[in-house]
Parts: sequence; structure tokens; C-alpha cells
Amino acid sequence: MADEEKPKIITPPNTLKSKVKTGGPGAVDEAALERAEAVIEGLTGSYLEWVQDDLKKLQAAFDQFVADNNAENLDKIFQISHDIKGQGGSFGYKLMTAVGNELCRFIEKTETVTPQTAEAIRLHVETLKIIIGRDLKGDGGKEGEALLVGLQQVSDKLLEG
Amino acid sequence: MSVYNLERLNFLIVDDNKHMRALVKSILHALGVKSCLEASDGADAFKELRHFPADIIICDWNMSPLDGLDFVRLVRTGKDSPNPFVPIIMLTGHTEMNRVLEARDSGVHEFLAKPISAKKLYSRVRSIIERPREFVRAGMYFGPDRRRAASSNYKGSERRKQDSEGGGDGELSQAEVEALLST
Repeated sequence: MADEEKPKIITPPNTLKSKVKTGGPGAVDEAALERAEAVIEGLTGSYLEWVQDDLKKLQAAFDQFVADNNAENLDKIFQISHDIKGQGGSFGYKLMTAVGNELCRFIEKTETVTPQTAEAIRLHVETLKIIIGRDLKGDGGKEGEALLVGLQQVSDKLLEG
Repeated sequence: MSVYNLERLNFLIVDDNKHMRALVKSILHALGVKSCLEASDGADAFKELRHFPADIIICDWNMSPLDGLDFVRLVRTGKDSPNPFVPIIMLTGHTEMNRVLEARDSGVHEFLAKPISAKKLYSRVRSIIERPREFVRAGMYFGPDRRRAASSNYKGSERRKQDSEGGGDGELSQAEVEALLST
């Protein structure tokens, strides 16, 4: 192997070492972590406002998809549901994350757009609205489980067909 | 658990979603961080790096025009990069195995799966503090050594707990991501 092809190891300067102290006032202990989790919980009201915006954008993207019957609009639906997936769980809305994830996976696996594709997406969008509308926090209990299982069955059936 | 004081660290938060930036910033402030700068995409962040001495970058994947992976590559290998060694945490909802490996191969230090929590975010910061990484230049790759030592903090029960929080269907939990990156 020529010299220039050999992996070269470099030890970067450890700038964090001099800046980060261990322990003492202000250090991140269990209590600080609990306080930080409480700060996130305190942002739940804001989350519920911005998720409403996301749901409106999602509905608009879906309406556009139906009107144009264009697969390119699926990308926009994917991006919004990906955001919804990435945020819900932080504020205790794990079902938003789970259903957002289901919608992303469904879109990823969709190879051909059929009328049933739109129907499946519509069910996901409606479910996301129901979760927020009924304030189904956590896993949503039996109602949440039923919603999720129903969506998975619909998606599986359509993707198989 | 090791307790670190983060108040002297400068964080750069890169995300096109202003709500995610606000969430990450709120968590960092609650953990004692005083200095956070926000950028809304990779190009904006690269510009900010010229005058902001970031100690740690927390970067989303999906952004345009310059996405998270392009930004990481630019920081690592760009001729005019102000700090090719800066630790980068990739923050993303993409947790499929191929995506995690793609992020690793772009030169990130850590991978943080959304949805995030204060504990998950702090654990990634702690990992950067506790495990400074050597850099490797090999072929087209320049970045932290991709062969990481297995985490001494790995706990089976933690993994099971986080599995129940993660998505299914090819998605990896945070603990599985860690296990994958440690091999």
C-alpha cells in the first residue's frame, strides 16, 4: 500500500476538557435533568399550537395530492409527517410519533399511487387529528392501540395488494 | 452518573424547523448552557461557524438547500472549514440501520433519535465529553474514528425500555443505534 493510501490518525486538541468542569454548582445532576424534563413538559401548550399548524399543512398537502393525483406531492406529506413523528413523543404524545412513523413507512413503501393510497393516507391524517382532538397522551390506552393496529392492517393490506 | 457543568460550552443548533430549534435550545438552557446559536440550514450554519466558536454542533438531517449530511461533510473536509474537528450530534427521525451508518460515514460523532428528551440529549453530550475521538483520514473519509469502544454504560434494561419507545418496522431504538455504532 502506498503511503498516501494508509489511514492517517490525528489526535485533535481536546478543547472541551478545559471548558467542562465536573460537579459543583450548575453541574447536570439527576435533579437538573428532571428540571429539564419539566421544562419540556411546560412547552406542551406551545407544542399543541404548532402541531395544529402541522396538521393544517398536512391536510393541505393531502388535498393537493388528491387534486393533482401526483406522486411528487407525497414527498411533502412525508416531510410533514416526519416532523410530527419527531416531535410528539417529546411532549408525551407517543401516538403522534407512532402514527407519524406509520405514515412515513407507508409512503416509503408505496410504489404505485392508486385511489386506495389516498384513502390510506386520509385515514392516517384523520387519526393524527383524533389523537390531538381527544388529547390521547402516552400510548392512548386501548383506544390508541386499536387506532394503531387498524392503521397497520390497512397499510399492510394495501401494500400487499 | 458523571455530572458535568456545561455553562462554558458554545452550542450551534442547526434545524430548519424552528420548533425543534426552540425545543433543543430550551433543553440546553435548562441544563445550564449559556451560549446557543441557531441556524436554519447547513449553508447558514457553515456561515455562522466562521465567527461562532462552536464546541458542539447539534444538527438535523433533513434541511435544504444544504442538508445535514452535506453540512457535516463540508465541516469535515471543506477547504475553508473553520473547525474540521468540532463534535457533531446528528439529530434525526431517520433511524433505519442504513441511515444510521450513512450518518456515521459522513463524519458525525453521535446520533440522537427523535423524539428527544433532556436525558437522551445529555447522554450524547456526555458521551462526547467522556470519549474524545481520534480522527482518521482514509480514502475519501475524514472524521472521527468510526470504530468506537463499546459503551460502558450499556444496560440491557435500558435497551428494553427504549425499545418500547421507538418505532418498529426496521427502525432502531437509541440503544440499538449505540450498539450498532459500537461494533
